[in-house]
Amino acid sequence: MENQTFYYDNKIVKNFAYATLFWGVIGMVVGLLLALQFIWPALTFGIPYTTFGRIRPIHTNAVIFAFVGNGMFTGIYYSLQRLCKARMFNDLLSKINFWGWQLIIVCAALTFAFGITTGKEYAELEWPIDILVAVIWIVFGWNMIGTIIKRRTGHIYVAIWFYIATFVTIAVLHVTNSLAIPVGLFKSYPIYAGVQDALVQWWYGHNAVAFFLTTPFLGLMYYFLPKAANRPIFSYKLSIVHFWALIFLYIWAGPHHLLYSALPNWAQSLGVVFSVMLIAPSWGGMVNGLLTLRGAWDRVREDPVLKFMVVAVTAYGMSTFEGPMMSTKTVNAISHFTDWTVGHAHIGALGWNGFLTFAVLYYLIPRIFQTHLFSRKIANLHFWIATLGIIFYAVPLYWGAITQASMWKEFTAAGFLKYPNFLETVTQLKPMYATRAIGGGLYIVGIVLGIYNLILTIKAGKFLPEEAASAPALAKIAGKRGSGEGVHRWLERRPVQFTIVALVAILIGGLIEIVPLYLVKTNIPTIASVKPYTPLELQGRDIYVREGCYTCHSQQVRPFRSETERYGEYAKAGEYVYDHPFQWGSKRNGPDLSREGVVSGRQYKPNSWHFNHMLNPQRLNEQSIMPSYKWLITDDLDLSTTAKKIRVMQFLGVPYPDGFDKIANDDLLLQAKGIADDLKSQGIQVEPTKEIIAMIAYLQRLGKDVHAAGMPTATITGK
Amino acid sequence: MEINEHKAFDKDELTGDKLLSGHEYDNIRELDNNLPKWWVWLFIITIVWSVVYIFLFDVIKVAPYQQQEWKNEMAAAGVVAPGQSAPVDPASLVALTDQASLDAGKEIWMKQCKVCHLEGGQGLVGPNLTDNFSIHGCTYGDVVNTITFGAPEKGMISWKTQLTDDQIKKVASFVMTLKGTTPPNPKAPQGEPCK
Repeated sequence: MENQTFYYDNKIVKNFAYATLFWGVIGMVVGLLLALQFIWPALTFGIPYTTFGRIRPIHTNAVIFAFVGNGMFTGIYYSLQRLCKARMFNDLLSKINFWGWQLIIVCAALTFAFGITTGKEYAELEWPIDILVAVIWIVFGWNMIGTIIKRRTGHIYVAIWFYIATFVTIAVLHVTNSLAIPVGLFKSYPIYAGVQDALVQWWYGHNAVAFFLTTPFLGLMYYFLPKAANRPIFSYKLSIVHFWALIFLYIWAGPHHLLYSALPNWAQSLGVVFSVMLIAPSWGGMVNGLLTLRGAWDRVREDPVLKFMVVAVTAYGMSTFEGPMMSTKTVNAISHFTDWTVGHAHIGALGWNGFLTFAVLYYLIPRIFQTHLFSRKIANLHFWIATLGIIFYAVPLYWGAITQASMWKEFTAAGFLKYPNFLETVTQLKPMYATRAIGGGLYIVGIVLGIYNLILTIKAGKFLPEEAASAPALAKIAGKRGSGEGVHRWLERRPVQFTIVALVAILIGGLIEIVPLYLVKTNIPTIASVKPYTPLELQGRDIYVREGCYTCHSQQVRPFRSETERYGEYAKAGEYVYDHPFQWGSKRNGPDLSREGVVSGRQYKPNSWHFNHMLNPQRLNEQSIMPSYKWLITDDLDLSTTAKKIRVMQFLGVPYPDGFDKIANDDLLLQAKGIADDLKSQGIQVEPTKEIIAMIAYLQRLGKDVHAAGMPTATITGK
Repeated sequence: MEINEHKAFDKDELTGDKLLSGHEYDNIRELDNNLPKWWVWLFIITIVWSVVYIFLFDVIKVAPYQQQEWKNEMAAAGVVAPGQSAPVDPASLVALTDQASLDAGKEIWMKQCKVCHLEGGQGLVGPNLTDNFSIHGCTYGDVVNTITFGAPEKGMISWKTQLTDDQIKKVASFVMTLKGTTPPNPKAPQGEPCK
């Protein structure tokens, strides 16, 4: 057949590569600032925009969606064109994908700094930006599928299978988890509440790891590793089995983020077993990658691209073994809410995503600039400094996690908690936090060296925006399966059918877990004494969400003696039914707060304590690492939103009486005056309309309703 | 595949493994290797483990759910409400004065009490403990009772679940030594004057 000549679009690849480097540095520097705030809480500089609760989402979103996201687009736009022997489907769509994605990132950084957040981890973007994300993601998928359809190759390669799975699954996850009712342009309430919100959120959160940080990068590995090593893929059969097993099983594993929580036991069990079953499918990717290097190991010692790849794939293997282990109840009882999770996440982010991204950049930048990597020596230095950085980052966190979990659980012979003051268990970790910051700093030094090396490479080369290639047009073949043609081989030349099968595979697990939580009432037993928040408490809760309190404080007491002794009653599904969004948290840098308002409980503090603590935490505990929230004392509560908030809550099924929205502010001011009067009796002058009053009201409500139910914990049975 | 792709298999020169014909994507080729046996076994074992797990926990329910685990843990610890059962007669107690007890009391003070009363006892959230006024009684026995049972409505929690009788006596004895000291920025007097 006649050869057709066409041109690969390298310009879009270059743009994404530059964006990857730019956002990588920003995301990691913000991460370093967070790490340093553990040692010097004053590094928030006393302003709201740099507090831990607000910049932690900037860090996580920047690294995941800006650094890894742009890195993923870089690699996909480069490899997809070459694997399809076709230019991207539409240059305009490519440009919209690029500029739209950068716009999203800028909006994200700004809104998070201003406290505009949904309070759902890794999905903090408010609804207008969520819509933009969905649109840009569809543009990406449209452009990709279009390219695949007009390809000049018969079959689609395994890398593309992973790209397709990435596209369909992220679309489903993002849309489902972001469903919310707007209160205003910058505020919405999710349609889910409490346990349901938690399950949907962690179904999303876990699979963002699976389908944003894992599947696209496995796709990149399947292209760039054999290309760089010039070796054939070890096993096509393994590719098929581990691909389908991975995408089918992964979607079920979300509940492992909610072990020992108020999530129904059956859902927890599913989270455990599907995580354990993921070990082999995950390792399938590692095995296929490492065994592809057979016969090329001598070159791994020489070639920085292969070196970065080997560590990336090894880090992937480590975290995909560690993940299932952390998903067993035995390990989870120790690892959850501690820095173990943070260490685990960074083995994945720094090792797997970071190293593979740099392998891809070191591979393709010299090629699109028609030159060689400027310096192998600097690349090797980057490699060693970054590897050391990962070790210095992760090891102290694992050590710290075990130390802290042991301190939380230790009892004296007399039957008392040995460390009843939570702060002691944080202060103990300060040396580990310092070492972790050094590790993170080293990793950034490595990145800077890498960027320097790439800049010199770019300077020495000449950019080739349009790369000529030629291939014969795709011959027409029957759509039906040929005699002797395997089903899968057939599917590989039918990309639309392939996409549909992949979609079905990823929908099954989510539906089976999420739907019963809505339809089967016994999953969330109601508690009669649990009532909706008062308007003042609701406003206070929204401030709690705005300030990102959930990034350091959980609201989920686990059924362990060490937790019911420390905090009080363990968490019940029925107590969260009016929580839009849920605020269970995933990490305890400070104590759990869900029993804060139980007057006879051991966490109780008077209003004046909360006032003084928000103003200056270090005045009450020199060792405290909590930043000051002094602006809550001077800023006025926005009363104009109260009525609208009540109406949205009513729409979501929260049983406020009819017409309550009209009198909500009267109710609010009455309650606020009570708190202001109490503070006055303690010598504190503050107007009842300040934000601090609403925040105190919310904190004083936490746990009250469950306690009022007077349920002796021992009679609450799980079976 | 062997049926429909008639060409003879190429072999990979370095490993001698079979290359699949027709599998070539931007010069990437694929080998026809089988799944590694250990990998297949690993997968099977995790699946069997999972089936057994669900069977034990969720079908025949012999393995304990978390609520039962908690009950077992509490029972094993023999947890009955620790500490005191009834208020002591304030008059019957005498403050400890030996240095070891006061040092131990101070250690507890630094961990648990100064958060509200500040280091020197000058008071901030909680009342000033250095002046000659008191909300809940002035004697050593009154202090022991206040620490033990608290005054939750005023913000003082009960410490009987976190401190032993002995610890409470020591920290109360330390509190008695604060009276009459003059730390900076004392809180205004609260309660009744002591005799």
